[in-house]
Amino acid sequence: MADRLERLTNLIAVLLETRRPLTLEEIVERVPGYPGERESYRRQFERDKATLREIGVPIALEALYAFDQETGYRIHREDYELPPLDLTDDERVALHLAVTAVRLEGGAGGAGREALLKLGGLEGTAAPTLAALPDVPALPALFDAYRRRTRVTFTYRNDTRRLDPYGILFRNGHWYAVGFDPDREGIRAFRADRIESTIEPGPAGAFDRPEGFDPASALRDEPWRFGDEAPVEALVLVSPTQAGWVEADLGSKAVAERRDDGSVVVRMAVTNRGAFRSFVLGLLDHAEVVAPPELRADMVAWLTALAGERPGAGSA
Amino acid sequence: MTRPDAALRLRRLLTIIPWIVDHQGSRLDDLAARFGIKVSDLERDLELVPFCGLPPYTPDRLIDCEIVDGRVFLRFAEYFGRPLRLTPTEGFALLAAGQALLAVPGADENGSLAAALGKLAGVLGGGDGMAVELGAARYLEPLRAAAAASERVEIDYYTFGRDEVTTRRIDPRAVFAAAGQWYVDAYCHRAGDDRLFRVDRVRAVRPTGEHFDPATSGGPSGGELFHPRPSDRRVALLLNADVGWVVESYPMESVEEMGDGRLKVVLVANERAWLERLLLRLGPSAEVLEPAEVRTEAEEAARRLLVRYG
Repeated sequence: MADRLERLTNLIAVLLETRRPLTLEEIVERVPGYPGERESYRRQFERDKATLREIGVPIALEALYAFDQETGYRIHREDYELPPLDLTDDERVALHLAVTAVRLEGGAGGAGREALLKLGGLEGTAAPTLAALPDVPALPALFDAYRRRTRVTFTYRNDTRRLDPYGILFRNGHWYAVGFDPDREGIRAFRADRIESTIEPGPAGAFDRPEGFDPASALRDEPWRFGDEAPVEALVLVSPTQAGWVEADLGSKAVAERRDDGSVVVRMAVTNRGAFRSFVLGLLDHAEVVAPPELRADMVAWLTALAGERPGAGSA
Repeated sequence: MTRPDAALRLRRLLTIIPWIVDHQGSRLDDLAARFGIKVSDLERDLELVPFCGLPPYTPDRLIDCEIVDGRVFLRFAEYFGRPLRLTPTEGFALLAAGQALLAVPGADENGSLAAALGKLAGVLGGGDGMAVELGAARYLEPLRAAAAASERVEIDYYTFGRDEVTTRRIDPRAVFAAAGQWYVDAYCHRAGDDRLFRVDRVRAVRPTGEHFDPATSGGPSGGELFHPRPSDRRVALLLNADVGWVVESYPMESVEEMGDGRLKVVLVANERAWLERLLLRLGPSAEVLEPAEVRTEAEEAARRLLVRYG
């Protein structure tokens, strides 16, 4: 047991210190603990390499010399080492509170703590859970693609999609990758948990993020604005019991009129009538579409169809 | 069999050695606490270090590890002078946790956490492209303050499922964000039991001047937000293909594909107002299979709403 740990540590030291790639034979000669027979040491080295990659040691496979067919291994120090962060003790205390107060569910669970150990360990005390964020398998790869500026390809709702990720956003309990969609030629947001495949990255540095891009403002929050229908401005009367909540949700700027009984009339810009209808119906009998007549008539027709006999539902 | 342990210990060594190289003479017990391990595990790892180094593995090429009066000194370990880079998962997890804590209303935007995240974003090459929103709710801060001080409060609470507002006294134990909402975990004196309340449905918070003992009010109930019971009312619906999102949005007891794109689903729906909203929104895209009275309830709800348009 100790032998293997010793061998792995020496292997890293040798690959870090070498100035040129080392062949498998050179490695076995320099690092003690490999078996003598070629097939055995080759297998052993493959296992060691897998373990090192698993913990994030970047082993490069390169040609020994220019135009050479033969390849060897080395670790580039600049790929291995964490650049200096110069965190203060207070900053480490703050990060420790963060990784304990915010629980990432699932596979990424202990990763924040592992990261903190690399940054100098656990300073200060842990905090009780304040927030739980869902873990989505695609997230680390999306985040990596975002920070390395690589175009990614993935399957989304049975479709192959491409994205230049400009940012990652967590909103309403869901993670989104936001960026430029080269096929749709526009900014698009993808819910990370609906990505059905692994993330295939392209080469690094493939695009530039627009200056000051803010993923939060790029994702439209109000579903009734998320559509391509001809825009129309709707007025909705909301009863006093729900008025405060609706105002908080839409913002005070949306209030077109305040009535003496405490009810409010809110203004909504609608480009998706189905989503608008859902919002108003969610308020049950505490809301009423006031204008325009066309949207009011839509709502009456929808409700009338539901109130009476429905086609297909039958009375039998 | 031995692989996971070797990987774990190797990762630990590669993290601890650089710290000691930078902080010669660190105490064993401080190191163990800092890296979240037992002193005995740390000693076991350090015992191995003197056997590591570079060919030809003569004493001057091996790492020199000395423990004097519980203090650790390392020499000839310069090639392990820096820790390993963060993996994508580690970088993501640390940044996400930090951004989330910074998103809690009342967080200090110019404090240590923000400063640390700034440095981290610089190193990760990310900039400010990760945003975490936990949402705000009007009564979040008074409820967090009450929980922190173990203050009993009276709240007006809107019960979404029954569409009614009730007043109740609660002992708020903890306030937390999960599944896109803020919740208060509290003992409710009206219910005589533990309850989770959604903060955005709290309509008023009033102090009572009383305190509760957090030690006797039981542990946080936490955990699952929704537990179906056998006695719950179950509703079977036939959904058209265009409203498949329902399956992703609510917990389902069962989902069955009908072969023509339609889905037969069974879901738990005790609260009438909740089911009314769902059926009103789905409209002709959903058919109630059973129980029959739900069909009547949906029709009645539609008629009740139509009164406003009369």
